[in-house]
Amino acid sequence: MRLKARTLEALYALFLLLPFLFTLLVFFLYAFLRAAYFSFTDYDLFSPPRFVGVENYLRLFREPLFLTALKHTLAYSLVVTALQTLFALLLAIALNRPLKGITAFRTVYYLPSVISTAAASLLLLWLFQRTGLVNQGLSFLLAHLPHLLSLGLLFLAFQGAQVAWARRRGEGVAFFDPALALLSLPLALLATYALGLFGVIGAQEVRVEIPWLPTTATFLGIPYPLWAIILMNTYTTIPTFMVLFLAGLKGIPQSLYEAAALDGASPWVIFSRITVPLLRPVLFLVVTMGLIGTLQLFDQVLFVGGSGGAPLEATITLAYYVYGNVFPSGAAPRVGLASAAALFLAGLTLLVVLLQRRFGVSERGWAG
Amino acid sequence: MRKVVWILLALSGLGALAQTQVRISGWGGTDIAIVNGLLKEVVQPKLDKEGIRVVYEPIEGDYTQWLFNALSAGTAPDLFYVDIFWSESLFATGKVEPLDRYFSKQEVAAFLPNLVQGFTYGGKLYGIPKDFNTLALEYNKDLFDEAGVKYPNQQDTWETLEAKLRQVQSKLKDVAGLCVVADFARFGPFAFATGWKPFDEKGQTVLDQNFRRAFEWYTGLVKRGAARFAQDLGEGWTGGCFGGEKAAVALEGAWIAGFLRDKAPNLKYGTTFLPLDPVTRKRGNFVFTVSWSMNAASKNKEAAAKVLKALTSPEAQQWVLERGLAIPSRKALANNPYFQRPGKEPELNRIVFQGSSAQGGVVYPFKFRGYGGDWMRPINDALLAVITGQKGVDQALKDAQAALDRLTGRK
Repeated sequence: MRLKARTLEALYALFLLLPFLFTLLVFFLYAFLRAAYFSFTDYDLFSPPRFVGVENYLRLFREPLFLTALKHTLAYSLVVTALQTLFALLLAIALNRPLKGITAFRTVYYLPSVISTAAASLLLLWLFQRTGLVNQGLSFLLAHLPHLLSLGLLFLAFQGAQVAWARRRGEGVAFFDPALALLSLPLALLATYALGLFGVIGAQEVRVEIPWLPTTATFLGIPYPLWAIILMNTYTTIPTFMVLFLAGLKGIPQSLYEAAALDGASPWVIFSRITVPLLRPVLFLVVTMGLIGTLQLFDQVLFVGGSGGAPLEATITLAYYVYGNVFPSGAAPRVGLASAAALFLAGLTLLVVLLQRRFGVSERGWAG
Repeated sequence: MRKVVWILLALSGLGALAQTQVRISGWGGTDIAIVNGLLKEVVQPKLDKEGIRVVYEPIEGDYTQWLFNALSAGTAPDLFYVDIFWSESLFATGKVEPLDRYFSKQEVAAFLPNLVQGFTYGGKLYGIPKDFNTLALEYNKDLFDEAGVKYPNQQDTWETLEAKLRQVQSKLKDVAGLCVVADFARFGPFAFATGWKPFDEKGQTVLDQNFRRAFEWYTGLVKRGAARFAQDLGEGWTGGCFGGEKAAVALEGAWIAGFLRDKAPNLKYGTTFLPLDPVTRKRGNFVFTVSWSMNAASKNKEAAAKVLKALTSPEAQQWVLERGLAIPSRKALANNPYFQRPGKEPELNRIVFQGSSAQGGVVYPFKFRGYGGDWMRPINDALLAVITGQKGVDQALKDAQAALDRLTGRK
């Protein structure tokens, strides 16, 4: 019997896909169906599951810890996705210039994403301790506020004088002319130093001791420890997305920029009318991946909230809530409840991504 | 020649068949060396005669997760460690074999009663304690000498100890008296000393006046200049501060010895009991302990029971004790010459051993019914909030009580 070429091709395809289909079926579909089943039972790993209807789902919304986790997850996801997309784009544009040694810069900027989350979390703990670098930096800044103020004022004065002088000679210069600033800045520095030397201005005694991690205090409704995680995660994810944007930028024809330059378009117009619209497919990818990734935040919560000493209420997310209920410390597993929470998280992720596609940025254009 | 080899091979195969295998598991880390040594030198020689071979499978990573999964999936070994902290929720599942059938009353009575009580659930014994720990107060002799302050001793009350710590902290500017942690595992003993109980008859937790007295004392140590908050010193436990000579005393069990051996081998330290409550003149303590327990689904229960007995036999415990590896659980060891040896480690081990007895005062096992960490969290949060100055005592205790009431169903 001879198989038709098309059938043969399909068989080959199926054969090559088999390993992936197998893992998909076993580790995704089967696991998903089991989780769905367990979410309607009171399963605890040991006694046979007993059907309890939607009780687990109802219980979730009566649990303050779950509601906190939900709030944190959504806030975290929105803030981090927005921040990392914006900064990755800006960084990519900056690194897309034909400059000498740009490859080295690209490598340097890519490095943060190579750090494992465990190592990054350790760094985070160290930076945000009460006597850590962040508080010390803030203390230093506040202590030297008089110096900084005088430096700023003196710089403006010197720059102003130079500009005025230049204009009087009929030279049209902008106020922040870099060439003039090159002279004003050292002058201002020297003058500030002199003022400090003569005791006109002096450092104050300031000690910032903000407990960033062991606290439930909030800023804009988000607890401090979660802000710390937001900062760190944004910092470590930007490089990955920056690479995607860089790839996208390479795909934009140079002729468009040249044409725009001939027409005298400003940088902002070039950015908003050429770069961003043509980057839409990448933008869609970055935003979608960002949303999915951030909604599943887990490991940093474990490191910072678990062993780092931040209270659970200040860092918990949905993914951690699921984990915490499957393996509660010192208590019997609550698999039914955890399954319900896991399915809720899956549904939420799907919903957020669909909403994003509908009202945010999509592959083809600005939806809505 | 080849034939002989084949016959030998066949014979050895038969020998293996006649042996009964007993699988045992515990966590990894330093325990691997201890159990391997114990098996090789004490346990296996004894069991060889009975035709029992012990297969040891240590678990690195999260042991609790592994055990719960393995028991649920039916792949768990015949014998395994059970930590007192999650023992009740595990015993409640019926996956652990009660041991009353295999051990006579006398055999059980040879172990410290506090520990046996810890592994008794619903009137049945579910585990033989292999070793244990309590909390003791370790002090840095050099730092106390340098500050010209008397060493802490077992007559100290909270107040006299605090006075000493305050002196050390004010004399040696960059050293804290104690570095406090916001953890019930360290604060609990002080609350027990007042007579407060974690659960009342109805199984509910009431943070009463006694609890409050201990809470105010403990959380106020930082403000009164006798301690610093561990996290502010970049540490997560009192032993870390102690080893780095950032604090003059630590509140830890005998596990600190191994840490100090590595981190600060020349540190001169002494050990004494936790201080007394000035009102009740009592002290409190926790028992942290681990048992060998048997899988209810084991196919070789009789053989497993023999292995269990060998693992907790007087010889095995003596072997462990002499190497200073852990503090074994038999009563008779109280008078062991090891504890009388000079040196910082035997002293530490002796105080920790005695911490579980009458000298330890009011001692509770480190377990909280089936609630585990969920029960400790409100109290830890309250400790943290007050120590870092984010809440007053009233507010913190009110919030903790509300969270505990939600957990235990108290109206």
